[in-house]
Amino acid sequence: MTAAVELQGITKRFPGVVANDGVTFSVESGEIHALCGENGAGKSTLMKILYGMQPPDEGTMSVDGRPVHLRSPKDAIALGIGMVHQHFMLADNFTVLENIILGSEPSKGAGVLDLTAARARVEELSRAYGLDIHPDQVVEDLEVGERQRVEIIKVLFRGARILILDEPTAVLVPDEVDELFRNLRELKANGVTVIFIDHKLDEVLEISDRITVLRAGRTVGTRDAGSVTAAELAEMMVGSELPSPATGETTVTDSVAFAVRGLTIAGDGGRAIVDSIDMTVRRGEVVGVAGVEGNGQAELIEALLGLRHAQGTIELDGTDISHWSVRRRRNAGLGYIPEDRHRRGLMLDAPLWENAMLGHQARSPNARGIWIDRAGARGRTEEIVERYDVRTPNIDVTARALSGGNQQKLIIGREMLAEPKVLIAAHPTRGIDVGAQASVWNLLRQARRDGLAVVLVSADLDELIGLSDTLVVMLRGRLVATLDPARVTPRELGSWMTGAALDTGDAA
Amino acid sequence: MSERGLTDAALPGSPGRVDLAHLWKQRWFRWPVFALGGMIVLQLVEWIADPESEELLSGGQAGAMLRWSVPLLLAGLGGMFAERAGIVNIGLEGMMVLGTWFGAWGSVKYGPVIGTAIGLLGGALGGLLHAIATVSFGVNHIISAVAINIMAPGVTRFLADEIFSGYAGGSISQSPRVASFGSVELPVLDRVSWLTIIAFAFVPLAWYVLWRTRFGLRLRAAGEHPSAGDSLGVNVYRYQYAGVVISGALAGLAGSFIVTELTGIYREGQTNGRGFIGLATMIFGNWRPGGTALGALLFGYADGLQLRDRDGVHALLLVGVVVLAVLALRRALSPKRTVVEVGLPAVIATLIVVWYLLRDTVPPTFNQVTPHILTLVVLVFSAGRLRPPKGAGQIWRKGEH
Repeated sequence: MTAAVELQGITKRFPGVVANDGVTFSVESGEIHALCGENGAGKSTLMKILYGMQPPDEGTMSVDGRPVHLRSPKDAIALGIGMVHQHFMLADNFTVLENIILGSEPSKGAGVLDLTAARARVEELSRAYGLDIHPDQVVEDLEVGERQRVEIIKVLFRGARILILDEPTAVLVPDEVDELFRNLRELKANGVTVIFIDHKLDEVLEISDRITVLRAGRTVGTRDAGSVTAAELAEMMVGSELPSPATGETTVTDSVAFAVRGLTIAGDGGRAIVDSIDMTVRRGEVVGVAGVEGNGQAELIEALLGLRHAQGTIELDGTDISHWSVRRRRNAGLGYIPEDRHRRGLMLDAPLWENAMLGHQARSPNARGIWIDRAGARGRTEEIVERYDVRTPNIDVTARALSGGNQQKLIIGREMLAEPKVLIAAHPTRGIDVGAQASVWNLLRQARRDGLAVVLVSADLDELIGLSDTLVVMLRGRLVATLDPARVTPRELGSWMTGAALDTGDAA
Repeated sequence: MSERGLTDAALPGSPGRVDLAHLWKQRWFRWPVFALGGMIVLQLVEWIADPESEELLSGGQAGAMLRWSVPLLLAGLGGMFAERAGIVNIGLEGMMVLGTWFGAWGSVKYGPVIGTAIGLLGGALGGLLHAIATVSFGVNHIISAVAINIMAPGVTRFLADEIFSGYAGGSISQSPRVASFGSVELPVLDRVSWLTIIAFAFVPLAWYVLWRTRFGLRLRAAGEHPSAGDSLGVNVYRYQYAGVVISGALAGLAGSFIVTELTGIYREGQTNGRGFIGLATMIFGNWRPGGTALGALLFGYADGLQLRDRDGVHALLLVGVVVLAVLALRRALSPKRTVVEVGLPAVIATLIVVWYLLRDTVPPTFNQVTPHILTLVVLVFSAGRLRPPKGAGQIWRKGEH
């Protein structure tokens, strides 16, 4: 078999870093080849080189056996290479069809769109590859998995035979991942070559034929998926053993730090989004909130922080804070690790030291009276960077320049140095790599040992079971079960989350 | 968050249920119902307010509405082309001012047809300036547009002094009289200018260009998600230029129309904020040609009534009461109601009723601001359902994501 893509000795330097250092990588025609590695290992740079977005400084590249020099994505597309970006490039207010044809529109002449021909072609692709989409739906109404299928068809519409997917599963829920994998197998059966970037090892093992691991810009090795285990891959990726979220000894005390009573959020059409929730969190306790996403967890957290109006009482150290503003709650000791770092946690285009003040900008050491204390704030940021191992060249780079894991460590550092009494963590390890995940877990364990009361919402069941002292399950806005994480299996937890356990009367 | 998935999953393709609620969701069904309802309300109001006015619903008023709505329609469509391409154009007013002067000058020199074309080009020039500033140099859209709005009257005053002062009847602030474009006799509406017909023909044309051509698709992509277009090889800057220049041209045409069809003369300040109201009609029309036309007719109705019939405006107060009452009632029935949303329209409606009963006429100053107030009220209460182009107002640079 000839190699569909072959990269030899690719080196790419950016000011201060070598992103790719002599990477060698070969993908056979018609295989699904995974590219693994921690964030910052050089995967994205390598794919940008392959897609013509950046030229390599050294090294050669060949497609279907012929050496090529790509100057722009247009060259890559002409060679049949297509890329599905991690952040979708879709106009929300356009129909699926409009998004697909944009830039390569079939025309009846004189620039008039031939929508009939376009629709027929899209439907044909959709059938041929088993990618279920409706051309006339508006993208805004689509779920994430459907949007991804639109992106894939968009690339196929342009005649791609080599498909690059950049962390396609990062945005999907488990069912959608299954659907994606079915689609990828279908593509493979039709002779499409798939290059798949990911760092979730179980997924990688499930879908790919071969796996290439990158670490610190170098190729560690390529393995057949059939002859390698997740643990071995993890070792290749981080150079040490896979961390686990387990917490060890209990640190739970008797004193209640945080109590919620009868918390209710009204929704449209009379049904409550969050329905009379009672919850107590003691010092040194982690209460894990499990649930399929969209069952009210996000709204619950917003209500706890004061971002959303709710009925019921919230007590912090015995004081009723339900009518307090967000600022007052945070000053009183409520720390928050948001679900969406980019929307809620950071100002991506502001320097780190400004980001490190957010939410504490009116307090020492960040402020003196009405003035920002620049020196104090910068000193505090240096402290966060050092104590929480935020890997950054300096504190003046923008938050956008940091990898997801380092952004998260900055946020955790910011919240922890403010010495909160209660920490509310929403999906703290979402979208970050194995190495950073381990340090985030360590930080949460440390917080627990320090006597914080922690509310942890997560979609990662192992994380929930491993870190929590008490597990509650949220379903359709209610807490339907309280479980002991020491005894529950992910499978049981899953059946509570979907309500299956309720139906069979399998109550604890 | 995946809650959208839960709520919307049932929507598409629910088979065969043709009930009223479903019909109501179709635009072709809803608008005629609104129009009919509106006419019934007007008829009722006229009946109650009788004998004050018989002008709320008459052929003359319909003709006036049509005439006065044209500048708003053209400005609205202009705003739409710019914002669909991602560039906010509150400089429509200034471009319209350029259109009035160039239109008048062209008409004086070459007659109304070529004059109108020159007015259009004058507006396009203003658009080009806005495009250079915002697209090429990344100037904030509002700042550039405000500069154009300030500059345009200065430029036209200077030009008028240089050129019109030399003509009989011309001065620094006005032109000699200019001829009209020519008109045609139609039933009900009386005499309708050819230019009015052309302007309304732009409504389906704009729709066709934006939704059925390659040019339109790419232009809209530039306004919705420029990076997506860029990643597919679309030259975003070129389409943004095109959108803003078309926008300026339409505003210029609106200016020409005021000169040749409405007043027959160029007079300083005669646009009187219509560029801004044009922008409001675009917003009212949800950035779509059909809706913009409807908005233009609505605002044009108020504009025309104000000039024709002061008693009519007084009676129109009752229409406002009905509209506000309906809005308040709708909010009251919605589960997400707030005190302000229900209370404010109710309180305003009550105040208007009291005023209506106490006074027989509306003060003349109020007459003049009616269209503006109507604009405000309509926009405040329709804001929730609007869907502006996502990239409008953002300064996009190539290579950004």
